[in-house]
Amino acid sequence: MKTYFRELSVAAALGVVLLALAVFAPAFYQPQPLLSLLTREAPTLVVACGMALVIISRQIDISVGSQFSVCSVCAGLLAARGWPIYLVLPASAACGAFLGAINGALVAGLRLPSIVVTLATMVTLRQGLNLVRQGEFVNLPDGIQWLGLGQTAGQWLIVLTALGLLVAFGLALRHLAAGRLVYAIGSDAEAARLAGLRPQLSTFLVFVLLGALTGLAALLNVAQSPQVQPLSGSGLELKVIAAVVVGGVAISGGRGNLWGAFAGLLLLACVAPALTHLHVEAYWEKAIQGAIILLAVVADGLRSRKGGHR
Amino acid sequence: MNTAKRDWQALLTRHEMLLLYVLIAEWLFFYFAGTTTNRRGVVVGFGTLDRQFDILRHSCEIGLLALALTPVIITAGIDLSVGSLLGLCAILFGQLWHDGGLPIPVAAGLTLALGALAGGLNAALITALRLPPLIVTLGTYSLFRGLAEAITHGSITYTDFPETFLFVGQERWLGLPTQAWIFFVVALAVWLLVHRTTFGRTFRTIGLAPEGARYAGLPVARRLALVYVLAGLIAAIAAIIYTARLGQAKADAGTGYELFAITAVVLGGISIFGGTGSVHGTLLGVAAIAVLKNGLACLPVVMGMNAAEEMSGLLTGALLLLALTASVLPKILSHVRSRPHAPAP
Amino acid sequence: MKKLLHLCAAGAVLLASLVTASAADAKLVVAMLPKSKGNAYFISCKAGADKAAKELGVQLLFDGPTDSNAAKQNEIVENWITLGVDVIAVAAENKEGISTALRKAQKQGIKVITYDADAMTDARSFFVNQATPEGIGQGLMDEAARLTGGEGEFAMIVASLTAANQREWQKHIEARLKEKYPKMKLVAVRPCDDLKDKAQSEATAMLSANPNLKLIMAICSPGVPGAAEAVKQAGKTGQVKVMGLGLPNENRRYVKDGVTDSIILWNTGDLGYLTIYAGVALAKDELKKGAKTFKAGSLGTFSIVGDNILLGKPFIFNKANIDLFDF
Repeated sequence: MKTYFRELSVAAALGVVLLALAVFAPAFYQPQPLLSLLTREAPTLVVACGMALVIISRQIDISVGSQFSVCSVCAGLLAARGWPIYLVLPASAACGAFLGAINGALVAGLRLPSIVVTLATMVTLRQGLNLVRQGEFVNLPDGIQWLGLGQTAGQWLIVLTALGLLVAFGLALRHLAAGRLVYAIGSDAEAARLAGLRPQLSTFLVFVLLGALTGLAALLNVAQSPQVQPLSGSGLELKVIAAVVVGGVAISGGRGNLWGAFAGLLLLACVAPALTHLHVEAYWEKAIQGAIILLAVVADGLRSRKGGHR
Repeated sequence: MNTAKRDWQALLTRHEMLLLYVLIAEWLFFYFAGTTTNRRGVVVGFGTLDRQFDILRHSCEIGLLALALTPVIITAGIDLSVGSLLGLCAILFGQLWHDGGLPIPVAAGLTLALGALAGGLNAALITALRLPPLIVTLGTYSLFRGLAEAITHGSITYTDFPETFLFVGQERWLGLPTQAWIFFVVALAVWLLVHRTTFGRTFRTIGLAPEGARYAGLPVARRLALVYVLAGLIAAIAAIIYTARLGQAKADAGTGYELFAITAVVLGGISIFGGTGSVHGTLLGVAAIAVLKNGLACLPVVMGMNAAEEMSGLLTGALLLLALTASVLPKILSHVRSRPHAPAP
Repeated sequence: MKKLLHLCAAGAVLLASLVTASAADAKLVVAMLPKSKGNAYFISCKAGADKAAKELGVQLLFDGPTDSNAAKQNEIVENWITLGVDVIAVAAENKEGISTALRKAQKQGIKVITYDADAMTDARSFFVNQATPEGIGQGLMDEAARLTGGEGEFAMIVASLTAANQREWQKHIEARLKEKYPKMKLVAVRPCDDLKDKAQSEATAMLSANPNLKLIMAICSPGVPGAAEAVKQAGKTGQVKVMGLGLPNENRRYVKDGVTDSIILWNTGDLGYLTIYAGVALAKDELKKGAKTFKAGSLGTFSIVGDNILLGKPFIFNKANIDLFDF
């Protein structure tokens, strides 16, 4: 109970919001719109899984939004050239993995601070994409939307893919040696090295994994509409990092899990639709999101002070 | 230890010298490539005095934010909220003057106090609760911008400021853009604080080894708090200058400025791990980016491509990566078998 | 290391002199500033501007912020002033902010013209007026009323809560609503940050939160396809109408599928074309204050009211006519 205090408190906050919606805006719970909302958040969840791993290993990646855009446009262009979906999917993931590998090589290979490296790649990728595409939409051929399935089937497939990845990574992180390794390098890389592990290689791979997941997420997003906007994914990095941190993953590494990140994501994702359903004016949205983030970390801080250690 | 320290200093000097060379090369390049004579026989482009003043004018706000971040990053912290705080302070200033009916100097004074107060919120959360600055300021980044939007409903724009106030942002005083003087004064003050006071030197100690500093009896929490309050104060100054330059205060002021400022600071050679760095490095970083951005827009080739904005973003990112790589290369070459350890974010 | 750097610097200077030599030509230079560069709306404006520049033999500079940013607009204009361009054509993100820079340009003898969104009247010679905010607001509201039969709930998607022109349009839409359509009710206004994906999410939430919703009006160009996709996915095609300000190419699919009923826009290519023609005429002293008409190349004659050059009425695109347009 005590170990999962943070995750449980986020889940409880989420529960309160959902309950409030149930009482004041029961319309929120119609199955079809709810499925659509979940589908909209599925790509973010996939990126959040990767981001949680990166933050647990005591790194950060703020270039995921730009990676997401680049992968979306690449996937869109390939699809527009007539590539079938089963080839576009790995291509998009590979594109992401490649971009992740650049970050990984600079961070793990040259021992550069990840926040600065990914700041630089964020700007470079975004502006490079602007330069090449000038903001033009990519129109997709038929058969890409909903991965070639019908709408409902496609939505379920996207949501289940995201949830499947969440469960797989969540369990792997807890039970597999590779998963424990992420915690090990996050809490004490030197100790991990002395124990015969290879922290630099692991760090590199974690970045590659995040890139690949971002590429996959980009495709899951592309598959939801018949055209790709190159701007898609801007601001994604802050949304994902906030979700992961609100979910109890410590920015100082080595602590947290995916279930918490999932709850954090749902909580923050609820704010906008909840405001719409409760007919509150949109002006307060950003302030509320900021307040949630601060509340989550303050709760954490107060608790660790009481406990005497973190 | 002594030689190690000297090596480290040598490296630092080298980084700043390197940056200076880049800056001079950049400037010379743009001077020759970006200056032309136009149809009417007038010399135009990068080489004109007006252009140089414009560069100075355009750099003041981001330069101030970079100065605000310099002590923060030296103490191994970060403040993502400065851009949002600029926006919040700008509309508070507009509101105090326009709706509150206060004279400009009073409104400005109150705005500075509010900026310091907002910085104090960051400081309190970071020091009293010992929370990671990245997350706290990520939260206030949303909060400050959100408050600015909520207060103005996004739509209110404060304009029609008196000429005497606009003088600060749009005219020249003693030969230089007026706001440049404010910028220089702040730069000098921060430089003195960081480099010439024992007080400021403790920032580096804290950045290198916060636990060690605590055991050595330094009031770490108080010093850290001061750094964030100072950042809030400087962001408020930047907000007033921004308002004077554009002649308007609106909730979207300074969007994205935090990234430019961080880029400038890091380019200036301040390690994000804390403990190192200099104010003059930051100033060089700001100048290098400003010259690059303005110079590119004067190049005929880039003008032909109609892509000055994107090119400058792209090259700034590339320059940052290059500077980072250059800063670690000697270390990597000389300690090929050094102790591996994962850097903190 | 030092030597290398000296060498680099020398190389840079050499390279620079080569570049300069090739850049000297004596064409008239017209600089055009959009609100944001990546926006499809302005890209289509540029296409028309390019055509005009080619016909007139002038050099066209087209640069702007990559996001809508008032401060950056000022910096770009100030840059053009020191570049000594002949004409500056501006779509103002913020009226008061940009006017400071434009007055400075006028003082240096540069001709200033505005298009799409006006600056302060003393900061420019003419405004190429595609439609007044009032006209746009009324046009949108009237079309919305026509689609819904003048009664029922509707919702709006805007670019952001801080964009000046959006607020202006919204104001006129609400004024028209109050004045003429008492049976219609605006139930929600949500921002989409100029992101199609976000517009889709917002519209989805709107649809489930407001079961009686009869229409979604999006007044930013990425918002229209975003809202249409949401309506289509919710299976409410026809039941909830979609309309707004947008480009034919981005909405063609939805208009043909019957999801989007109508989009309203002027011919953006013509707007760019007319702006360049007017700017060049201004620089050549062919267009003077008090003129009543203006002839712009292949587009023919436009009328001038006061200092506004009128492009003509906004156009309503629907299923019947959308295939006639490609921009």
